Amino acid sequence: MGVIELDGLTKDYGDVLANDDVSFTVETGEIFGYLGPNGAGKTTTIRTLLGLLEPTSGTATVLGADVHDEGALIDAKQRIGYLPAHLGFNEEVTGADVLDYHASVKGGDRRDELLNIFTPPVERPIREYSSGNKRMLGIIQAFMHDPELVIMDEPTSGLDPLKQEEFNEFVRNECERGKTLFFSSHVLSEVRRVCDRVGILRDGKLVGLEDIETLMDQGGKRVRLRTTDEARTELAALDGVSDVQTFADGIQFIYTGEYNTLLRELATHDVREIDISEPPLEDVFMHYYGSAGAGESNQGVHSDA
Amino acid sequence: MILTIGVSLYVAFIVWYFSLVDASAYAQIAESVPPAMREAFGIQTIGTIEGWLGGQIYTFVWLVGLGIYFAYSAAGKIASDIENDRMDLLLSFPVSRSQLLLEKFASMVLPLVLLNVVVGGVTYGLVLAIGETIDPMHLVLAHLLSIPYLLVCAAIGTVLSVLVNRAAVAERAAIGLMFVLWLVESAVGAAEEFSWIQYISPTHYYSPTPVLIDGTYEVMDSGILLAGFLGLLIVSQVLFQRRDI
Repeated sequence: MGVIELDGLTKDYGDVLANDDVSFTVETGEIFGYLGPNGAGKTTTIRTLLGLLEPTSGTATVLGADVHDEGALIDAKQRIGYLPAHLGFNEEVTGADVLDYHASVKGGDRRDELLNIFTPPVERPIREYSSGNKRMLGIIQAFMHDPELVIMDEPTSGLDPLKQEEFNEFVRNECERGKTLFFSSHVLSEVRRVCDRVGILRDGKLVGLEDIETLMDQGGKRVRLRTTDEARTELAALDGVSDVQTFADGIQFIYTGEYNTLLRELATHDVREIDISEPPLEDVFMHYYGSAGAGESNQGVHSDA
Repeated sequence: MILTIGVSLYVAFIVWYFSLVDASAYAQIAESVPPAMREAFGIQTIGTIEGWLGGQIYTFVWLVGLGIYFAYSAAGKIASDIENDRMDLLLSFPVSRSQLLLEKFASMVLPLVLLNVVVGGVTYGLVLAIGETIDPMHLVLAHLLSIPYLLVCAAIGTVLSVLVNRAAVAERAAIGLMFVLWLVESAVGAAEEFSWIQYISPTHYYSPTPVLIDGTYEVMDSGILLAGFLGLLIVSQVLFQRRDI
């Protein structure tokens, strides 16, 4: 049985279909990334899992508790940590007060350990906090009672790159300790470094559910080389070549075809310089979103699906 | 706390003011006031300390001022937590929604009781200080009977608070509603065919001035207030239970 199971989860706000028949399972001990652009419905799914929203149809379970069953969900919440996207701390009290309060309700065995990694100024009132400090305080409260499952909505937004890296390392360690982590993100490059598996949401529909490696494989390779004009035209016409960009004496494209075919073709040309690398995850993502500029979703077209 | 001090200072001013002025002058004022206003402001026997306090403090401050204040502050409780995303974190705790709502409401009961105890004591002390007398039992009763009334006001605010997403909207609605209920109750008292309207207003069931003057009150009125309070609390529970956050 999965730690999180969604079965045909649908949330209809009337004007927007925020979640449309979403089904997937998150297994024990995995880091699951929930990807999608802003407004795709990620937060709706997360808030439904926590019992804040009532699904229009379909259902979901968290640690075996049905989201319709408040009693069961309350028991499960003792073993869940939650980091919301918007942290509504009481602005007037200090960070230490917030943590004391959270510890009194759900426990805080790991508080000191976490304060060594994430360093919000706990003696200062929350109203003086930067968004990064608030985020760190949020991460501490989500993990301090050592829950089995931690659900995080955009956990790294507001963190500086150094803290983001520490967060990534922390998350990998937590996973090795057997925790299950579920987080949403629209920043793709960061997901790739920590996630085992991703679900991709677009306009409320789950459009992809892949191992991160498969996702990267499907994204192909980015090939960049300096060569002759004639070679450029021939390469661009090759099967599996897309997203071609030409410049002065070179060409760059994404290659998703057979490697041998590409290498044989290259061998017939005069290649002066070549660089084959992984494409940025944004490009991989585009593959799921369809053609160029697909980052912007067109709500009207899809909401009636 | 600040409210308690503020109200106490107001009581001090009113009591001191009473000591300055000739009592018979007030009786004339009371007679010159139209009956509808006498009804609204509880100005009946303004010439005695009991009547004076009943009109100036208990009708103005308790019935109108504190009624509106507790409805207003209750209205902000849940709505502001939802508006500031605080509710997300609170409901991630292993607590039920009904428990959360009860705790929020309970947090208002202590200041409500404290205010009555402190201001009641201050008032008694001040009355003695200016050389007047007042029956302490009547004073205690006036405060005690105000508690069910103020609970109803707070419960009205709570219902508004769980209905609305924005604190400012809930708070304004609470102030407006309480004020209208009070006005309606005072205004229709004189008009026979609309007199039934006064029964929907909680202000109809708490009359501090007669309690202060001769200790008369209706047990039934307090019973109705308590029943209304419980009913409103149940309504807010049901609404809060079912809503999306």
